[in-house]
Amino acid sequence: MSHVDRNREAWTEFAPEFAECAPRAWGRDEFEWGVWNVPESELGALPDVAGMDTVELGCGTAYISAWLARRGARPVGIDITPAQLETAGRMQAEFGLDFPLLEASAEDVPLPDESFDLAISEYGASIWADPYRWIPEAARLLRPGGHLVFLVNGTIMILCSADEELPPGRELLRPYFGMHRFEWDGTGGIEFHLGYGEWISLLRENGFAVENLIEIQAPPEGESHRFPGLPDREWARRWPSEEIWVARKRS
Amino acid sequence: MSDFEQNRAFWDRHSDEYQQTHREHIGRSEPRWGMWQLPESELQVLGDVAGKDILELGCGAAQWSILLAGLGARPVGVDNSERQLEHARDALAAAGLDFPLVHAPAETVPLPDASFDIVFADHGANRFADPYAWVPEAARLLRPGGLLAFSGSTPFEAMCWNEPADRMEPELHLDYFAMHRIEESDGPVQFELPYGEWIRLFRANRFEIEDLREIQPPPAAESTYRTAEETEWARKWPMEQIWIVRKER
Repeated sequence: MSHVDRNREAWTEFAPEFAECAPRAWGRDEFEWGVWNVPESELGALPDVAGMDTVELGCGTAYISAWLARRGARPVGIDITPAQLETAGRMQAEFGLDFPLLEASAEDVPLPDESFDLAISEYGASIWADPYRWIPEAARLLRPGGHLVFLVNGTIMILCSADEELPPGRELLRPYFGMHRFEWDGTGGIEFHLGYGEWISLLRENGFAVENLIEIQAPPEGESHRFPGLPDREWARRWPSEEIWVARKRS
Repeated sequence: MSDFEQNRAFWDRHSDEYQQTHREHIGRSEPRWGMWQLPESELQVLGDVAGKDILELGCGAAQWSILLAGLGARPVGVDNSERQLEHARDALAAAGLDFPLVHAPAETVPLPDASFDIVFADHGANRFADPYAWVPEAARLLRPGGLLAFSGSTPFEAMCWNEPADRMEPELHLDYFAMHRIEESDGPVQFELPYGEWIRLFRANRFEIEDLREIQPPPAAESTYRTAEETEWARKWPMEQIWIVRKER
């Protein structure tokens, strides 16, 4: 079974849990990143999106696209999992926001070349699609000067994680060299994680200029996340549990 | 004592021993990078150097700059240690070469703006000078479109060094977010930054990021800097890296 089929199956199974959280994510006024809900106003990962055509790669319940729409963007959300898109559609009706949602893989997007100003992914295609396929697709979809912003799991965290259901410790459990495809024990999904130098070469090879890498430090206090495989606050105060790459398609 | 004075004293004190210990390992006939001496002809970091003005930050005994002069470059070597530069002067005389050697810390180099095509270091001043001071200095010294390339340590090495036990471990010790100035007992003051900090520092100084080469030593790699166990560690996680960035035109 291809990783796309495996991940669709896994996300069909996860979908009810995410449907439950969707109203809350859609209802937030501030744009917040990741599981520590760090506000965009603190990170500055995004350009001013007003008037931009945006595509969210692996949108899930599409709360990111909802935030972009409220800030004046014209979003399109794509995802491989119909159950997630159903939730997104329900939220659109509930919150009175309407934008296109498309069932497609970020590795093969049925949309024209150079039709977006921003490609964004938060725990979406950035983790569940093969970067050697979705980064070239993002480059194709973006206009010259367009922005690519995506959040991934912390690289160090991935090396320290034994299993998808267990939080990372301090020991490096697997090699860094050769990082790419990850199939965790006992779960359905297939993830993709690259090292820092590999991300930089891949972005450069696809015509992107690397603008920033924002490594998220958990705030000293606040609400805890609900994911057993992610680190506790103490770990995430010391090492990055999430990283946002910011790149720009060269003109 | 400031960091550059402490490091100057350290290198004046350790220069003779350093040059003696590593003489053969780093005294090859072609330019080579880093702890495992991987050839520039394979890594292709600097590109064609003929006719280029090149500044080496932390040149030590100028092994690199001497080889670059042989390839047609016009090198200048900078080092913070007078004793290291005495070794360099001896080496230049032995090679029958004459190019400028400047005694200065990389944070304040007494040379004019926009006077170099390439600024580089091979485990040089980049390890012992504060990046927030020396990267802007490199930007000032480079011409538009000029190349900055430097090999050094990595965040992984900084995090996984168990200082009391004096060994590399497959375990995180140092906090990533606190990484900047690293001082060990009796050692020099060293500097390392998180990946994102490097990227922001380059961008703030109008460098375009071209590459981050993370060095995985080949299985048979040898080093006078690293034990066999440490080289084994470095086969799994990055212990050495080369940043390659270019000043915007």
